[in-house]
Amino acid sequence: MAAKDRFRCMRCGHEWEGEDSPDRERVCPRCQSNSVRKLPHPAPAQG
Amino acid sequence: MMDVGRHPRIRLLTYSEVEDVSGHVGNFRVRVRKKARYVDEKECTACGECAKVCPVVMPDEFQMGLSTRRAIYIPFPQAVPSAYVIRMDECLGDNPIACGKCLEVCDKKCINFDMQDELLDLEVGAIIVATGMDVYDPEPLDEYGYARYQNVITTMELERLVSAGGPTEGHLIRLTDGRPPKRIGFVQCVGSRSSDGRGNPYCSNICCMNTVKDTLLLKQHDPEMEITVFYMDMRTFGKGFEDLYMQSRAAGVRYVRGLPGEVVEDPRTGNLIVTVENTTANRLERHELDMLVLSVGAVPRRETEPIRQLLTLSRSRDGFLMEAHPKLRPVDTPTRGVFIAGCAESPKDVKDSVTQASAAAARASTLLNAEHIVVEALTAVVDPQRCTGCGACARVCPFGAIRVPAKKEPAQVTAAACAGCGTCAAECRFGAITMRHFTDQQIFAMIDAILEERPQDVFVAFACNWCSYAGADTAGTARLEYPPSARIIRTMCSGRVDEDFVLHAFKKGAPAVLVSGCHYADCHYINANRNTVRRMDRLWTLLERKGVRPERLQLEWVSAAEGQKWAQVVRDMERLRASVTPEEIAHTMQVLADVP
Repeated sequence: MAAKDRFRCMRCGHEWEGEDSPDRERVCPRCQSNSVRKLPHPAPAQG
Repeated sequence: MMDVGRHPRIRLLTYSEVEDVSGHVGNFRVRVRKKARYVDEKECTACGECAKVCPVVMPDEFQMGLSTRRAIYIPFPQAVPSAYVIRMDECLGDNPIACGKCLEVCDKKCINFDMQDELLDLEVGAIIVATGMDVYDPEPLDEYGYARYQNVITTMELERLVSAGGPTEGHLIRLTDGRPPKRIGFVQCVGSRSSDGRGNPYCSNICCMNTVKDTLLLKQHDPEMEITVFYMDMRTFGKGFEDLYMQSRAAGVRYVRGLPGEVVEDPRTGNLIVTVENTTANRLERHELDMLVLSVGAVPRRETEPIRQLLTLSRSRDGFLMEAHPKLRPVDTPTRGVFIAGCAESPKDVKDSVTQASAAAARASTLLNAEHIVVEALTAVVDPQRCTGCGACARVCPFGAIRVPAKKEPAQVTAAACAGCGTCAAECRFGAITMRHFTDQQIFAMIDAILEERPQDVFVAFACNWCSYAGADTAGTARLEYPPSARIIRTMCSGRVDEDFVLHAFKKGAPAVLVSGCHYADCHYINANRNTVRRMDRLWTLLERKGVRPERLQLEWVSAAEGQKWAQVVRDMERLRASVTPEEIAHTMQVLADVP
C-alpha cells in the first residue's frame, strides 16, 4: 500500500495523514485553513 | 437539427469523435475520427428492410431500454442523417454462414462491411463545446426502490412512455402489469441538493419545471388521474413558470412538502406504499400509488472530460465546464477561441440552452470575422539570451502556449494562446520570462515600497486578480471591518508569485506574508494555482531549514464572493503579524541574506 502523505496546518499546527491530490484543495480539518503543508517523507532507514 | 444538416455552410460530422486538438485561437487544428457506420449515409433511404431481417436484438438506449432495436438501426427517429448504422460489436458479420441478411435485402446496396474509420484533420478558428449532460442514476438511493420495483421509474423513462414515438406509442402503462396507472407520485430532487454524498449538492435547475410540465401532460391524458408531487422546494423562477405551476395545482395536482423516507411494494398488487413526512401539515403520511416517478437531476457528461482535457478547460466544483467569468464572459472559457453552450456548462432548460448557444455562436462569429486578434498586453515574453531551453515553463503552462522547439533552444510563446497567468515566469529559474505589466522589477519595487517604512507594522499579501483581490473588494463594499495592516500586491494568478518575491519580502523585514488565490475549482487559469501550492511547500521547507518560523508564510484560497473569509484571513494575519518580534524579523533578514 502506498504511504500516506502527512500534512501540517501552518495556522493551527494540527497534523494528520491523508492523500494529496491535484484535484482537491488542501484544507485543515480542524481550522479550515488552506495553509496546509505537505511534510517531506522521512528518509528510508539505512542498513 | 435537419436545418443544420441541410445548411450549405455547416458540415455536420455525426458518429464522430474528436481525438486531438492543437494550435490556438484562430488556428486550431482538430483531428476527428469519423467512425465507420458500415452504411453509406448518402445512399441509405432509411427504408428499414435491413433492420427487419437483422437477428440481433438489443435494448434500445434511446427508449431507455424499454424496447429493443437491432444491430443495424437508426439511433432515434429524428436522427440526422436519416440513415442506418451498424454496431459492429453486436453484428454477427457479413459471412453468409454467420448472417449477412441485411446485405441480401438492401436494394440500394449501401451496406459496406469493409468501411473503415476515417481520420479528418480540420482547421478551425473557434470551437464551441456543447456536449450536454447525463442524468443521475438513482440506484444508490435505495429508499426509493428504483433497483427493486418495476413501477418506480425515472422522469426520462416517463418521457419515453408518454411519447407518441415511445415504446407504447404514448400510452402510459405500468411496467408490472401493462395497466394504465391511476395514482402517480413524483419525487423531486433525486440526486440533487444532497448533502449525504449519495447525490450532488447542486440544484439541477430543470427538474421542478419538468415535473410541472409532466403533471399537466398527464392530466391532459387523464383528468381523473391522482397526481402527488413530493418536494423540498418548488423552484419556478423562469418566465411563465409560476403560471404553469399554478395551473398544475388548479388541475388538482397535490404538492406535498417532504421527500419520502421509504417506498415499499405490495407484492400482491405491485402498488407502492410511500411513507413521507408532510412538513407543511406536520404529520406522517402514507400514500398508496400505482407508479412512482423519480425526478432525477443532471450530472456532468462523462464523455466531456476528454474534450475538456484536449482544450485545457476548467471545471467548476460541480464538475461542469467553467466559464471565463460568470457575469462578463459567460460563454467564453479561459482558453481563448473556445466557447461553451448548453448543459456542458451547467444544467439548464431548452430556452437557456438556445440563448447560450446563440451567444456562443455570436462570440465565435465576432472572433472569426475580425481581421486581427487583439491580445491583452499581459502575455509572457521570453528573453532568448537568458533562456536555456530547459522547458520548465512549457511544463507548467496550463494553455500549452509555450513550446521549446528543440533541446536547449529558447522557448517560444504563442501570444494568442497565452492567457497571462505568469506561472511560467515564476517557474523560470533564469529570469528569462517577463510578464508584461507584471514584471519581476515591478513586483520587487512594490515590495520595497511597502516595506520601506515601519515594515514591522504591515504584512505583504499577494492576491490574485480574479478571486482574492475581488474578495477583498467584496469585503470593502460590504463595509466589513478588518485591520489595516494588509498591503496587497495584485497578480493575475497566485501562480505568478515567484518564490523570490516571498523571500524578498522577508529579507526586507516583512513580519508575515500571505499568498492568496482562487479556490481550485475557480482557478481562471485552469490549474495554474496548483503550482502555487508546490512552491509554498518548497518555501515552508526552506524557511524551516533557515530557522525561520514557516507559519509566518500563509496560503488561503478566497473567492470573489468570500468577503467574510477575506476579512477573517486578514484578522488572522494581523494576529500573526503582531506575534512576530523585532528580534525575529532581524534574525530572518540575517539568515535569508545569503539566499540568492
